[in-house]
Amino acid sequence: MKSFSWKSALASPAGRAFLALLLVLAAGAIFNADGAFFKIGTHRDTLRQASVYGMLACGMTLVIVSGGIDLAVGSLVALAAVCAGKMAIHWNWPWWQVVPGCLAVGLTCGAVSGWVTATLRVQPFIATLSMMVLARGLAKFASGGMKVSTAVQNPDGSYRYVDVPPLFRAIDHRILGGNLSVVTVIFLVCVALAWLALSRHRWGRYLYAIGGNEEASRLSGVPVTGAKICAYAASGLFAAVAGLCQAAQEQQGDPEAGSGYELTAIAMVVIGGTSLMGGRGGIGLTLFGVLTIGYLDKILSINAVPEAGRLVLTGIIIVAAVLTQRRGRT
Amino acid sequence: MRAKLFALLVFISLAVAGFGQSAKTYTIGMSQCNLGEPWRVQMNADIRAAAAQHPELKVIFNDAQNDTLKQRAQVEEFVSAKVDLLIISPKEAQPLTEPVARAFEAGIPVIVLDRAVLGDKYTCFIGADNKKIGKAAGQWIAKKLGGKGKVVELKGLMTSIPGQDRHTGFREGIAGTDIDVIFEADMKWLEPDSRKEMESALSRFDHIDLVYAHNDPGAHGAYLAAKAAGRDGIIFVGIDALPQEGVAYVKQGILDATFRYPTGGAEAIETALKIFKGEKVPKKIVLGTRLFDKSNVATGGEPLP
Repeated sequence: MKSFSWKSALASPAGRAFLALLLVLAAGAIFNADGAFFKIGTHRDTLRQASVYGMLACGMTLVIVSGGIDLAVGSLVALAAVCAGKMAIHWNWPWWQVVPGCLAVGLTCGAVSGWVTATLRVQPFIATLSMMVLARGLAKFASGGMKVSTAVQNPDGSYRYVDVPPLFRAIDHRILGGNLSVVTVIFLVCVALAWLALSRHRWGRYLYAIGGNEEASRLSGVPVTGAKICAYAASGLFAAVAGLCQAAQEQQGDPEAGSGYELTAIAMVVIGGTSLMGGRGGIGLTLFGVLTIGYLDKILSINAVPEAGRLVLTGIIIVAAVLTQRRGRT
Repeated sequence: MRAKLFALLVFISLAVAGFGQSAKTYTIGMSQCNLGEPWRVQMNADIRAAAAQHPELKVIFNDAQNDTLKQRAQVEEFVSAKVDLLIISPKEAQPLTEPVARAFEAGIPVIVLDRAVLGDKYTCFIGADNKKIGKAAGQWIAKKLGGKGKVVELKGLMTSIPGQDRHTGFREGIAGTDIDVIFEADMKWLEPDSRKEMESALSRFDHIDLVYAHNDPGAHGAYLAAKAAGRDGIIFVGIDALPQEGVAYVKQGILDATFRYPTGGAEAIETALKIFKGEKVPKKIVLGTRLFDKSNVATGGEPLP
């Protein structure tokens, strides 16, 4: 019978990630902005705000575990949001066409970056950087550079106003007496799916093997190319889900949405303790990272900390969290 | 690529010159610094719409994609293509001052839109005054609230001049009243950030009378946050009043008021026509704002001095 020990708990990456989250929560309890931190609504909003980033972080974890990186996710949010806006608002498609349509766009773009990096052997950084630029361009092209909103332009230049589609209303809804956002539920489903894939499926094992040593995996018969393409495709798929949620919350498809989100997603993954070198980490850790950054952001926001201070504090805390993670390995 | 573009421009201007034998036609080169912002897309649309009224005008649009040096090259290309007039909405003053001056010295009239260049080597500057617009918003808010109330200010990027001006103008507008700005945050012009900051304001304060956001998407984000929190009775005020954004929001009952930050596109074409006719134009045209609220949105807003 193994007894619980704080020492061994803190030696594990999960323990350290949990500690970082506890510290941030403690900071929130101290700087509670006249009690705002103790309201249920604050936590519901924190989780809602972190959800879009969190979905990106799920896909990012799969890619990073395989030793890659996906810089395209922020742009894919915009592309999926614009597609969602076009399909749901302008073309009035029902939800069962909009959702697969958006997901297919994300999946395809992700698969293309995966194919370029896995088959054509372009470094993941470059392959996904290209996709980041390309997807942003597609988003602007599809939207004509304007937000796809409920003000629809007629051919003669005047505007007519349509209702916000029911799909958007449903995603930006709350359940459990208004205490949980649907977006958060979608995020948790993404976490569950990514966890199943990474920890309970053979494909997940392949990704760890590839991230650990790609050449050795290839020689031991791991289908490296296919597994890698699937990782990027999954990342694109999660990005499309995030884009759909983004569009629903903004009630429009903004071609400028999601810029810089990829960096936040990477920071969430790394704070959790997943190694950027690949081969180590997991979705559970990423969940801690998502909550840590999400709460940090919220605490700075309810205290109305000026922008300059927020950036400095966030930077310091990310480095501190990553340093604790690294010390656990040596 | 650039050589091809240049050849195309020359070809277009030659073609235009060829057509011009019966009636005199004019080619206008328009250098837009960045089409990534809806407001600038609207500026181009305004120019296009105004020019379409005058068949003798031919406008060539160029987008510098937020790159100063690219915009500089575009100005130089327009000069060598010998356009009849140059409209430029510069990305930055300093690096574009000289290229604009060279065009001006080469005898091409230059209309500078929205952002200024240094010195006086251009024909006419057309722009709006953010401080004035902020002040107009502040005065409207003071009147609306009867000089008393709790206000949330969601600021645009405070490192940008428009953000600073919309802030100081607003504070001037509400000066001397009992209006209390209880929460202010930088939402960087972004709707998701605005919603986030507004949620924080809502969880901190049980009573908020009005939200003043430095742009309409910001006000829209704040509205969504308040609506989701089930908080009614808050007044939302934005700035910019693009037809498909702010004006649409007022029509839909989302915002209570928005103040137009005019693009100057139509005025630029008007001024260009005057220049072509040989009329004298002022060196600086400051555009007034326009208030859109429930009472006047259907009739196209009310001009403010």
